[in-house]
Amino acid sequence: MELGGSTILYACVYATILMGFLGIIFKENLVMKIIAMDVMSTGVVALFVLVAARTGVRTPILTASPLTPYADPVPQAVILTAIVIGFSIQALMLVGVMKLAKDNPTLEIRAIEEEYRP
Amino acid sequence: MNEISGLTMLWIAFPFLMGFGIYLLPQADRVLSISLTICSAIYALGILQMPEPLSLSLLDNFGVTLLVDNLSIFFILTNALVSTAVIIYSWHTSKTAFFYTQLAILHGSLNSAFICADFVSLYVALEVIGIAAFLLIAYPRQNRSLWVALRYLFISNTAMLFYLIGAILIYQAHQSFAFAGLANAPLEAKALILIGLLVKGGIFVSGLWLPFTHAEAESPVSALLSGVVVKAGVFPLVRCALMVDDLALVLGWLGVVAALLGVLYGLFEQDSKRVLACSTLSQAGWILAAPAAAGPYALAHGVAKAALFLGVGNLPSRHLPTLRQRAIDPSLWVPILLGSLSISGFPLLLGFSSKMLTLKAVSSWQTWVLNLAAVGTAVLYANFIFLSCRQDPESKQALVKNPGLKLALGLLIAALIILNWVYLPQTFSGFNTLKATILMVTGWLLWWQGVSRIQWPFPKVMEQFEHLIGGMVVMLAVVLFITIMWTNTALETPLWRVFS
Repeated sequence: MELGGSTILYACVYATILMGFLGIIFKENLVMKIIAMDVMSTGVVALFVLVAARTGVRTPILTASPLTPYADPVPQAVILTAIVIGFSIQALMLVGVMKLAKDNPTLEIRAIEEEYRP
Repeated sequence: MNEISGLTMLWIAFPFLMGFGIYLLPQADRVLSISLTICSAIYALGILQMPEPLSLSLLDNFGVTLLVDNLSIFFILTNALVSTAVIIYSWHTSKTAFFYTQLAILHGSLNSAFICADFVSLYVALEVIGIAAFLLIAYPRQNRSLWVALRYLFISNTAMLFYLIGAILIYQAHQSFAFAGLANAPLEAKALILIGLLVKGGIFVSGLWLPFTHAEAESPVSALLSGVVVKAGVFPLVRCALMVDDLALVLGWLGVVAALLGVLYGLFEQDSKRVLACSTLSQAGWILAAPAAAGPYALAHGVAKAALFLGVGNLPSRHLPTLRQRAIDPSLWVPILLGSLSISGFPLLLGFSSKMLTLKAVSSWQTWVLNLAAVGTAVLYANFIFLSCRQDPESKQALVKNPGLKLALGLLIAALIILNWVYLPQTFSGFNTLKATILMVTGWLLWWQGVSRIQWPFPKVMEQFEHLIGGMVVMLAVVLFITIMWTNTALETPLWRVFS
């Protein structure tokens, strides 16, 4: 495989996903974990956009001008839904964290797990 | 045909409209939500009359695809029965309109998960299920329940991110998100999709988030979670296993191991609700082990488990040794007994028929492991079967305080008995009855001889949040390993044949 522009882009996108994932595991603070999850989902969004750009980068709008290679609209439409869902889940989680923070001001996950263990 | 597709659309949209309707008319919350679940049951029974599966493709080639077949009907019926029982149970409690709104939205999104046939619609359905379940678990608004809910949402959302990566890889290979694309998809795409669904469905190591969540939620919510919500993850796995052969192999393997793991995990529990949750871990494996018999098994498990969670959640204590010291009133003891017997596989209850159908559908080595898991299941439920039954005003309090409990339990138990008659002609034989009885009695003897006296606390390290997230990577490796070992999608000849 040649090391073209798109290979490097794919590598960057997968690195973002991996970084986010490692952040979820290794960050100790709950808010940081949620942010790490956001990084991971940003990586996934970028992957969708990259796959859509495989066929071209033009916006797929029908015009009178001659045909140019255009981006695949399907993954973009799909990821738009996923972004909205991801954003609402994140909002919900942060509201939950705000309420938890009243009793656990440090929001350290170990302390929280210890406290609510059955 | 057109009328039926119109009706299907209406049926899918109805719960979401009603969900918001309940907010506009909070006085009618119970009536509106129960009308929904009854509609679902009627729809499922109506579709049952159709000669062939209903397949819908909305909005051109890239739109939503739906498929309503026999398998979906079982899951929809489970959803309808369990949701109805939970609404009846909550009827006389002080639950607000918010609770019923979430219940309606959960019901609707579960229904749509049970009929979708492409990865994107499934993604949306699963995420909506996650959000609605989060709000239901967090409903008591205490910090503890908030943490349980937050942990659930975090884990399921991370799993869904893996799933999304798999979905786009499948699209890259086939220009479509349809389930059928899984057949010739790249190995990594299959593994990533599987991880997402295995976590959602609570299978094997990736399902270890389940005992804590299901045990710590309120009883009616636990009943919903164990009865149907977990099945939203198992259902797509079953449907894919029926379509793709290599996948059936991998999932058959995982299902059998999961059935055993859940039982082993529950053996050392002293907490009644955790025993039930661990058993869910094992039963999800049973459903997956035999995709051909998955429908009846999911129905039998969902209904019985919901009854058990509602019943056991109302016992005076959750600590099993304490429960053994005291008497339980017959009005509460009998439903718990019947639910336990059904899951253990007692003839005359639906659990028996579904278990026999599953054992008939699996290959011979799987049968042996599953028989072992069946003995283990009998050991787990011996905890509830051998509680002493006597008139006891204190344990009767729950029934007096909440008249809905009796009705809900009655509905679920009646379903277990009546639905069994549909299958009995196929499964009832002297040999099967003898086998089921021997499996059960062996389990009871084991329990009586030793298991009930075990006081050793099983380490719960694996249930820590970080380990659960890390476990997803381990599962990814396991799935990749099994696929490469036993199928030749990646290599020309399977590895085990090279070595032998």
